[in-house]
Amino acid sequence: MSLPEFKLLLRPRTVEEAVGLLAKHANNIRVLAGGTDLIPSMRQKLFEPQYVLDIRHISELKGVHPRPGTGVEIGALTTHTTLERSDLLRQRYPVLTEAAGTVASPLLRNMGTIGGNICLDTRCLWYNQSLTWRKACGFCIKKDGDLCHVAPGGTKCWAAFSGDTPPALLCLNAEIEIASPSGMRRVPLREFYTGIGDSYRKLQADELLTRVFLPDTSAYYHGIYRKLRIRGSIDYPLAGVAVVLKRSNGHVADARLAITAVNPAPILIVGATQMLAGKVIDESLADAVGDLAAKTAKPLTTSALTPEYRREMIRVFTKRAVLAVANNESLVRH
Amino acid sequence: MTEFSIIGKPIAMVDAAGKTTGAGKYTDDLCLPGMLVGKILHSAYPHARIKRIDTSRAEKLDGVVAVVTGKDAPTPYGILPVGHDEHALALDKVRYVGDNLACVAAVSEDIAEKALELIDVEYELLPAYFDPEGSMKAETDLIHDNKPHNIEKDYHHVFGDPDKALAEADYVAEGRFIANEVTHAAMEPHSALASFELDPHTGKLGRLTVWSSTQVPYYLQHKLSLVLEMPMAQIRVIKPLVGGGFGGKSEVIPLEIIAAIAARAARAPVKITYNREEVFWAHRGRPRTIIDLQTGVKKDGVINAVKARVVQDGGAYCSYGVVTILYSGALLGALYDISDIAYDGYRVLTNKPACGAMRGHGTVNVRFAFESQLDEIAAKLNLDPAEIRRRNLLKPPCITINGLRVQSYGLPECIDQVVERSKWKERKGKLPRGRGLGIGCSHYVSGAANSIIRSDMPHSTVNIKIDRDGGVIVYTGAAEIGQGSDTMTAQIAAETLGCSLARLKVVAADTDLTPIDIGSYSSRVTFMAGNATLRAAEEVKKQIASAAARKMKCPPDELVFRDDEVYRRDLGGEGARATHSEASASGRVEGQILRGSLQQKRKDEGPKDWMTFEEAVVAAIDFHGALTGTGSYAPPPEARGGKHKGAGVGPSPAYSYAAQVAEVSVDEETGEVTVHKVWAAHDCGRALNPVSVDGQIIGSVWMGLGQALEEEMVWKDGMLMNPGLLEYRSPSAIESPEVEPIIVESIDPEGPFGAKECSEGSLAATIPAIANAIHDAVGIRLRECPFTPERVLTALRAQNKAKPINLTEGVDPTAPTRFREHGGALWFRGKGPERHPLDPARQKATAEIGGDD
Ligand SMILES: Cc1cc2nc3c(=O)[nH]c(=O)nc-3n(C[C@H](O)[C@H](O)[C@H](O)COP(=O)(O)OP(=O)(O)OC[C@H]3O[C@@H](n4cnc5c(N)ncnc54)[C@H](O)[C@@H]3O)c2cc1C
Repeated sequence: MSLPEFKLLLRPRTVEEAVGLLAKHANNIRVLAGGTDLIPSMRQKLFEPQYVLDIRHISELKGVHPRPGTGVEIGALTTHTTLERSDLLRQRYPVLTEAAGTVASPLLRNMGTIGGNICLDTRCLWYNQSLTWRKACGFCIKKDGDLCHVAPGGTKCWAAFSGDTPPALLCLNAEIEIASPSGMRRVPLREFYTGIGDSYRKLQADELLTRVFLPDTSAYYHGIYRKLRIRGSIDYPLAGVAVVLKRSNGHVADARLAITAVNPAPILIVGATQMLAGKVIDESLADAVGDLAAKTAKPLTTSALTPEYRREMIRVFTKRAVLAVANNESLVRH
Repeated sequence: MTEFSIIGKPIAMVDAAGKTTGAGKYTDDLCLPGMLVGKILHSAYPHARIKRIDTSRAEKLDGVVAVVTGKDAPTPYGILPVGHDEHALALDKVRYVGDNLACVAAVSEDIAEKALELIDVEYELLPAYFDPEGSMKAETDLIHDNKPHNIEKDYHHVFGDPDKALAEADYVAEGRFIANEVTHAAMEPHSALASFELDPHTGKLGRLTVWSSTQVPYYLQHKLSLVLEMPMAQIRVIKPLVGGGFGGKSEVIPLEIIAAIAARAARAPVKITYNREEVFWAHRGRPRTIIDLQTGVKKDGVINAVKARVVQDGGAYCSYGVVTILYSGALLGALYDISDIAYDGYRVLTNKPACGAMRGHGTVNVRFAFESQLDEIAAKLNLDPAEIRRRNLLKPPCITINGLRVQSYGLPECIDQVVERSKWKERKGKLPRGRGLGIGCSHYVSGAANSIIRSDMPHSTVNIKIDRDGGVIVYTGAAEIGQGSDTMTAQIAAETLGCSLARLKVVAADTDLTPIDIGSYSSRVTFMAGNATLRAAEEVKKQIASAAARKMKCPPDELVFRDDEVYRRDLGGEGARATHSEASASGRVEGQILRGSLQQKRKDEGPKDWMTFEEAVVAAIDFHGALTGTGSYAPPPEARGGKHKGAGVGPSPAYSYAAQVAEVSVDEETGEVTVHKVWAAHDCGRALNPVSVDGQIIGSVWMGLGQALEEEMVWKDGMLMNPGLLEYRSPSAIESPEVEPIIVESIDPEGPFGAKECSEGSLAATIPAIANAIHDAVGIRLRECPFTPERVLTALRAQNKAKPINLTEGVDPTAPTRFREHGGALWFRGKGPERHPLDPARQKATAEIGGDD
């Protein structure tokens, strides 16, 4: 499968230049960061832009930087490998270290970026297929068609958001910085996703995701990310659960829970914080939180394994993650 | 001094350097001046008549040199003489989504792809069949007109009196087992490069050369000759390095013929390399198999009868199907002693890519059922599962009730070994809940005793030529596909000739140069090409010995050939030779040792009691003129099986045997199965190259593990939902267990140095060993593989009578009521989208269509 033809590969060096080019070619341009999602999708003719904006040379968008007094700033082009290896993150935000370490495979983690992971296209068995395949099957709402194979008769796209780091970032109350021709804005990550599979993120055609901020107030929480997959390496999450928790005197001082890969958006389960706050964690509390998470999950036949099973696993994984984080069993060594 | 100096030692593959450095050339690495890229247009429909194909728009596109369709090569072919039902490009009908329609040869890949979009095809849609049991009921709109009820072939074998025996059994186990469809997933996708030579005088197309990633160069040459209507002598097939076959390249794959037709039309070399999706469509993998199995036993666990009904979902073409369905029945025999067998096998056509031969061809799925059921029986009779297997051993040499001759039989030792090493007696049934041990056994042929081409031709022939400086060239048609065939050939030749491995060069799988060998499949190469190599080497050795014996003034059979020397047996032994052996003192001889004056001096010295290999070769060439030898192998008549219909499949000159114990744990909340360790014993007759045998055993376990836990081709209305290696999940390093390979050597009387099969037989034991271990761990009996976490959890919930997981129901209220019932191809039922310009639904289906399910 060859790449679709495009007119020009653009290589800006600064954010302003990049945003300028985005504005100039809006609607006919795609941002390329690590390219690990975009390139396979272009080969499948899911995107056929006239221009490709290769932002890899904007050096200001790379790296993990402490910002004393406020938190940690991560450039959108920071790779998963860098995240995984950052001591700073490991100490302060271990849930992110864990989540970043489960993305794809080591080689892909060397290329894939956190910005690309946040912006990651939603996925569906009927969508992530070659043009030949989709043509044979019949095109769907998300691309070129007007029906949904997952929920026949429905008009909403259910493609599942399948990134691993966003649930961790949601637990950390992360904010993102978005650059546009009119300047920079900062939004909570929570508000970035729409929950609709074919227009899953709130990002205008002339906008660029530039930075991620992790607030000081979320630092030093215990954290865990649990990922359901069939194959031990290189598998998108079929369900994913991130939990962070802070304790005082054996009681939960604060906790947050987010799930991924079972809805068109990663979801922060606000009710879980209330359920856990002030409590001592035991099996039955963990069970109850698991039930809540499972209720929020709405998996459909977008991925391998059946929806019922994936939802059940959200329940089991949540329960386990809550218990593990209470016992401080993170995979990450402090 | 050990018996052998080359074989039995762990030796690196002779082609390892090219593969590990990247310098080795696979077909897709090759390039010829003026070469074009070929791209194939595939069917978007599972079953349709082609009313019209118009390629004129595509032909006009700049950069397109030729477009070919079915009418450019109308002769049907197929790997089996009884199954000539394929056209490289469809003539009148397409039979699965992905079937081949047309090919564009263009100057670049993207131009070729663009041109495909410009080919207009008008179809008349036909009802499609996706489920074999439904397909068997079809009366009309058959997939092939000459196959009533879409049954490719059915066999009904009865040996002994199984009904009577079952009636006399103390206990009869009965069950339905399902093994879902899997594919080879070789790393290298299929690739073929075809080039015609132009006659310099007439300008007409002359000889054809095809480079292809094939396991069977001679079959390819033969089928090309058939379809292109050219004499075989005008066709040369060359097999470069091959990145894995596992059966997926063991027959002619459409692209090989298409590349040749396209090259003929374009008058330029054409290369086609499948993308991964096309590899899945080319397929020829292991069919989804439904097995209804009955086993009757006496109280003491002795099996007295087996009845099996096997239905295979074969896909749209015959491929090796007739052989597969026969193997499934035949290999019920030759592992255990079973006196009465009834077998009903149905190979059914469906509108999906053709299934064919895959590692463990025909035996794997039935063995899963059989070994699982044997475990159930052992539990019922309160017998140790290892013990029940011991009570049913064959007593070789013998001929089984279904006509299979068994000579060497290492199964008892395989069982003993795995039982001992896994501490089975101490641990089986005694591990904490959630952890368990399971055993499974299997066997496989060392090549088929009857080739698929009906002829008396030997199955392998090998030529050897030795140069004046002692360099040995072996010409073999055997196809190295990563399994080590070239290394095996070199080892056998070097051992026989008593020369060092460094002198050996193997020229393989080039039909212009190498004598005929039917290819690398059914684990035949070591046994058959190995025997042919041995015989060729012995023939040359005889010539060298006669010349050397004249010089040494002794009878030729007094001579010993070893370590690059030829010496008189009575003067042999370490001590005698150490005095004169400077040449080989380094242990490595690079070909030329005694040159010029030294050689002349030695020659003039007169009679001697030892010679270097090179001296002996010179003497022989001086005497005979040229030093060449030929050896061939044909299986002996006694090994060719019985007389019943279908008796040709199953017989082999020798069978390999395997036993495995798997240790697993099961997470009862998630259904996830972890395999911790597999002890895998394999009787390969003699291990010519122990590292290679270890590798094959580990690889077999690993591939079995994939089918047991993860791999499954998922279909929805004829659409393959996972046509890529991301979604078709072969196990990765993380879930690969520790495998302890245990080599058992039964020294077969007819194998080369006693060697037998070692690359397929082990696979079939892994799946039941894991299934049985899961049962030991948590008490559930899984009868459908792969044992995905959801299948395991469903079984666990059923066992606990806990809240069931209904795998067929969607959560969304608007979702279909049955998960597997709806599929992608909704437009096929007239409900399609209209928006996209390329949407096939725009081409307006002519009739209201319905499928079978
Ligand atoms: C085999 C395979 C397995 C994978 N497995 C996983 C997995 O397990 N978990 C997982 O989370 N991901 C997985 N991925 C997806 C991908 O590797 C990661 O999500 C990665 O982080 C994407 O980052 P990238 O920089 O490569 O994105 P790109 O491919 O460059 O971009 C992805 C999308 O985001 C947009 N984009 C990227 N950066 C920006 C920006 N700064 N501003 C605006 N838009 C932007 C692009 O236009 C594009 O639409 C897998 C991919 C492959 C090929």
